[in-house]
Amino acid sequence: MKNLARRVLFSLATFIALAIVSFLGIDALPGDGCTALLGRFGSDENIEACRQENELDESVVVRLTDWSSDLIRGDFGYSIKRDEDVATIIVPRLRNTAILGFVAALIAFPSALIFGLLLGRYPQKRASKVVNQLSVIAMTLPEFVIATVLWLVLSIWLPIFPGVSVMPSNASLSQLLPNVWLPALTLAVVIFAHSMRTMRASVTNVQNMPFVESARLRGTNERKIIKRHILPAALPPVVNVVALDGAWLLTGTFVTEAVFNFQGLGRLAIDAISDRDTALILPIILFGLAIYLFSSLLADVVVRVFDPRLRSSRN
Amino acid sequence: MIRAVNKIQKIFVAFFAFGLISSGLASCGRTSSASGVLRVGNDAGFGGAETMDPYDGNRTWPTINMVFDRLIGVDKDFSPIPELALSWSSNDDLTDWTLELREGVKFHDGSEFDADDVVYSIERMIDPEFDSPIRAVLGVISSVKAISKYEVLLTLSTGEADLPLLLADYRALMTPVDSQATIGKEPIGTGPFKMETFDPAGTTVLLANEDYFFGKPKLEKIEVITFADSQSAAQALAGDQVDLLLAIDGKSSSMFGDESKFTLQNIPSGDWNAIDFRVDQEPFGDARVRKALRIAADRQVISDTVLGVGGGVVACDTPVWSADPYRWDGDCPKDTEGAKKLLAEAGYPNGIDIEIYTSDVEVHMVELVTAYKDQVKDAGIRVTIKMADASGFWDDVWMKESAFVDSWGQRPATQVLNEVYRSTATWNPTGQADKDLDTMLDEARSSKDQAERVKKYAQIQERLFENSAIFLPYHKTLTRAMSSKVKGVEPIVIDAVRWEQISVS
Repeated sequence: MKNLARRVLFSLATFIALAIVSFLGIDALPGDGCTALLGRFGSDENIEACRQENELDESVVVRLTDWSSDLIRGDFGYSIKRDEDVATIIVPRLRNTAILGFVAALIAFPSALIFGLLLGRYPQKRASKVVNQLSVIAMTLPEFVIATVLWLVLSIWLPIFPGVSVMPSNASLSQLLPNVWLPALTLAVVIFAHSMRTMRASVTNVQNMPFVESARLRGTNERKIIKRHILPAALPPVVNVVALDGAWLLTGTFVTEAVFNFQGLGRLAIDAISDRDTALILPIILFGLAIYLFSSLLADVVVRVFDPRLRSSRN
Repeated sequence: MIRAVNKIQKIFVAFFAFGLISSGLASCGRTSSASGVLRVGNDAGFGGAETMDPYDGNRTWPTINMVFDRLIGVDKDFSPIPELALSWSSNDDLTDWTLELREGVKFHDGSEFDADDVVYSIERMIDPEFDSPIRAVLGVISSVKAISKYEVLLTLSTGEADLPLLLADYRALMTPVDSQATIGKEPIGTGPFKMETFDPAGTTVLLANEDYFFGKPKLEKIEVITFADSQSAAQALAGDQVDLLLAIDGKSSSMFGDESKFTLQNIPSGDWNAIDFRVDQEPFGDARVRKALRIAADRQVISDTVLGVGGGVVACDTPVWSADPYRWDGDCPKDTEGAKKLLAEAGYPNGIDIEIYTSDVEVHMVELVTAYKDQVKDAGIRVTIKMADASGFWDDVWMKESAFVDSWGQRPATQVLNEVYRSTATWNPTGQADKDLDTMLDEARSSKDQAERVKKYAQIQERLFENSAIFLPYHKTLTRAMSSKVKGVEPIVIDAVRWEQISVS
């Protein structure tokens, strides 16, 4: 318990430190919200006036203090370029990316664990070898290639899914769902290959260990061996990978969202970066940080609960 | 374990059943083309910061041109034609212009369009406080006055024969009196389409204006759909989710080779790239060095390399584009020996080392310098390419370093020459102050006779080829792609396309 508390505190400190570094890093880049708004032909006077109006002419320390105190009160700031509160812009897109990530996870993770287990248990079967090779290919292909192939097959040759999404960011769930499948499948292919291979490696590793052998020599039946001995030992390393892949689903979807024109956080981040809308980039970075820290924390907790070695030390 | 696996299997089956049902719905939800509805793809140029205020820097194009009208439009040959103004005339000095307005035109809210709206609109365009981008075009207007309900007087600070062409700018649109506060999101215009829902990051819907003064539009509805990325827009056209893309990446054009399904149009435009040399920094103060730098490269090869074959129209350092009536078509082949000789005369017999700044702030900018470097090495010009960060390029590099890439959008001859080359221009990027050129510009724009102006503008462009500090190798050609069901989109720049004439069968 003490360990856990220390772990949480450490994550929090990491978050705060990285948040400050991100703020300073973005601040150090040339250009700010006012140059982004007024653009190439903005006159010096107008840019100066805009900076005064938005309090961008204060010192870095003052702005950092203001920004962090706003953040603590739940105010994510204001995009000068888009003339809107950052929260208003981000929330619907966050919802869309979350739905996309959830569907992708639902497609990828259960099947990855099952296939990983089967491939690890029966590595000599021809089907295992084929699936294994396919997963290597899926891992090496860039996302946009997977996306384009899926689009070609499932939208042009077999017109099942809409090719790209043409819906507003605040579309209702029923409008959104038909547009989720192609990007979700793309993401699922990427993470399936990844987590399936981790599961397979872990199972391969565990099933030759002495305690599995001894269970087998005791005459324990195969189902029980898988359930009692292999799975509990094989899962912990996989949990960490699944957590990382899950975090990636919420933060690494830039390419897939852009290819399918999906109105999520990834597409928003690309827009914000190309517009140099710093007020909008920063909360997206912080969100990514939070997701990664939280998911690795969660993975640690899960492993702690399920790892038989830790369990036996408690007994 | 097996029970768990069974449970997972059940969840799986349920999930995929749900997937199939949902994809069934998706197939129904696949918006395919319907007659009377045009779906236009739009790039997310301002990433959701778009406004319908035509004078704002973040104006959303081409939607503003569906909702509002100009006073004066252009035809296929880029000659001025009446829109909301029926006729125009000037005094002999070309400083006072009187415009007769079309009578009986109604805004979408039913109110009548008259001279007060013109005064209001033009005053906003030229307001120095508001500092609209259109002020760079119409800044020559010093005041505007209503003479009667259907007559306005524009007073210019200098004689300008081509004021009608300047008024045909795609942003010089007429908005109703006192609309500033609301026009950005709830635009009221006189144009062929009325705003139904404005959603610049998603789908904007416009409905036909049945009472349009040029006649009822052939379409019932236009949907403007925003794409974050040009590839996804091309996919949407291939998958029949959109009917018209105003500009596609030339490299995607092979996707639309099937002529029974798609129509491709190559449209020369006035957009250009250049390499600018600061004349206040050595060695570019020497006209011989400048000329050597400009004649040492094969412009056709540069255009083909940067834009793709057929992707551009070669320019001999003139910013006036190929369809402009004032275009000078000079001859400017690669002249390696001539360049070497000029460099030797200027005191560089062993060639010259220069640095050129570029950035990926816009497409083609890095490719241009790379292609240029390769072209001029034969003449002993050794280029070092300096990459600048995209976020600071326009503030810290452009107009400040000794040599840098540049990019400009289409402008009529009088505007682009005065905005980029005049010695007093704010955005003259090279700092070149050619007083003789200023005089020639004044003379050209104040000649009343069109043939005379054509001659004078040609002389100006010849002078640029001799003397200027801007290497301007090409104007870009746009590729427009549409479904073959779309009719009435002429193969001309979009400023001259009449939206009410377009139909979808």
